[in-house]
Amino acid sequence: MNLQKHPDRLDTLAAHYALGSLRSGARRRFETLAREQPAVRLAAHDWQARLASMTELQPGIAPNPVVWTRLQNLIAADQSQKALVIQRARPALAPTGWWRNLLLWRGVSFIGTAVSVVAVLVGLNLNQQLQTLPRVSYVAVLADDHSAASMLVTFDPLQRKLTLQRVGGYQEASDKSLQLWALSPGKGPQSLGVLSHEKLLRLTVAEAQVNAVPTLAISLEPQGGVPSERGPTGPVLFKGTLIQKTL
Amino acid sequence: MQDTATDTELNTLINQIGLGDEAAMKRLYDLTSPRLYGLALRVVRKPEWAEDVVQEAYLTMWRTALDFRSALSPPLAWMGLIVRSRALDLLRRRAADRSHITQELDEFLQDTLEGPSPNPQDVQQASQQAQALHQCLSGLNQKQRQVVSLAYLRDLSHSELAQQLSLPLGTVKTWIRRGLDQLRHCMNRFA
Repeated sequence: MNLQKHPDRLDTLAAHYALGSLRSGARRRFETLAREQPAVRLAAHDWQARLASMTELQPGIAPNPVVWTRLQNLIAADQSQKALVIQRARPALAPTGWWRNLLLWRGVSFIGTAVSVVAVLVGLNLNQQLQTLPRVSYVAVLADDHSAASMLVTFDPLQRKLTLQRVGGYQEASDKSLQLWALSPGKGPQSLGVLSHEKLLRLTVAEAQVNAVPTLAISLEPQGGVPSERGPTGPVLFKGTLIQKTL
Repeated sequence: MQDTATDTELNTLINQIGLGDEAAMKRLYDLTSPRLYGLALRVVRKPEWAEDVVQEAYLTMWRTALDFRSALSPPLAWMGLIVRSRALDLLRRRAADRSHITQELDEFLQDTLEGPSPNPQDVQQASQQAQALHQCLSGLNQKQRQVVSLAYLRDLSHSELAQQLSLPLGTVKTWIRRGLDQLRHCMNRFA
């Protein structure tokens, strides 16, 4: 239908379209016409603009002051986010010439800072070591059933970091996960964590979970692992004794 | 609103906001939040929802103020559309939880039938287009004015209106058709 020949009909449809009372099939047909005929598009835009001014005609009521406070916080968060993005983007825009290379000076300053931090940490560490001697840490080599070393485990009780390094060529399927268990006599297996597919992995565990544990084991579980209280459900692939070593 | 803001002033503020000016944002909020909160409240009805809507809408303005230049609409209309669309988003999100509608039906009916109308001062500050619309809406009888306003502001279909207003579908259709026809003829006189 050529709506341009029926201006009153076009005006009616455009007004209903803008009001939202033209629905489903009728709405889609009108939209198709609007794409094909500029006059239809124009009429629709006219009515959308006219009805949009209805939003200006509502009685004003002051909102609760807390709205501004919340908004202010959101804006402040937005600002600092933006500042961070700009800061990150800046090195790419830095002028040429090594002397004016911001990245270089950042690097130098970073290294400087890092050196000072390391110095302080080493100092602290030495201090701490002196206080806590003998420092205890743990090592285990987990082997498969052919006694081939497959996983090297170390535990640093100060940092409570358990580090696992894959040393064999074993790689589980993508829908499976390896899970690490502490096996202690008289207690059921305790899960220490689920391993990601990476070669090197760090888990945070409390020393209490590791000391007095004679054996560690790794089982093959469904992806994501299983709850600790149920114990391993899949085959145990690697096993080894946890050795306490004194520095 | 004791302050009367001109379009020029609002345009300037929005441009400054586009450049990250927080003081301009505060000024815009002070000048316009009562009007926009009134609008949000009319669409979503619950004060705490309307507060969320206003907050989201101003955050949208803060983030998209630079786009305003290409919006081609008067500042209050641009802001009003942002509030309406945020308010409708919120209603759609809550649509899954239908229980509140029956609970609030009485309250809703009262609000709808009494139908708040803007006070003369509010209209004075509105754009020319809005003043024309106000004049034309005033020419409709109250029922027609209410169904037309609600259909637009709350984006309700005929059957949703009929259900929410406890009116026969045919009645709603007739009121909308007649109301909109009358509105068309009136508005075309201004064009």
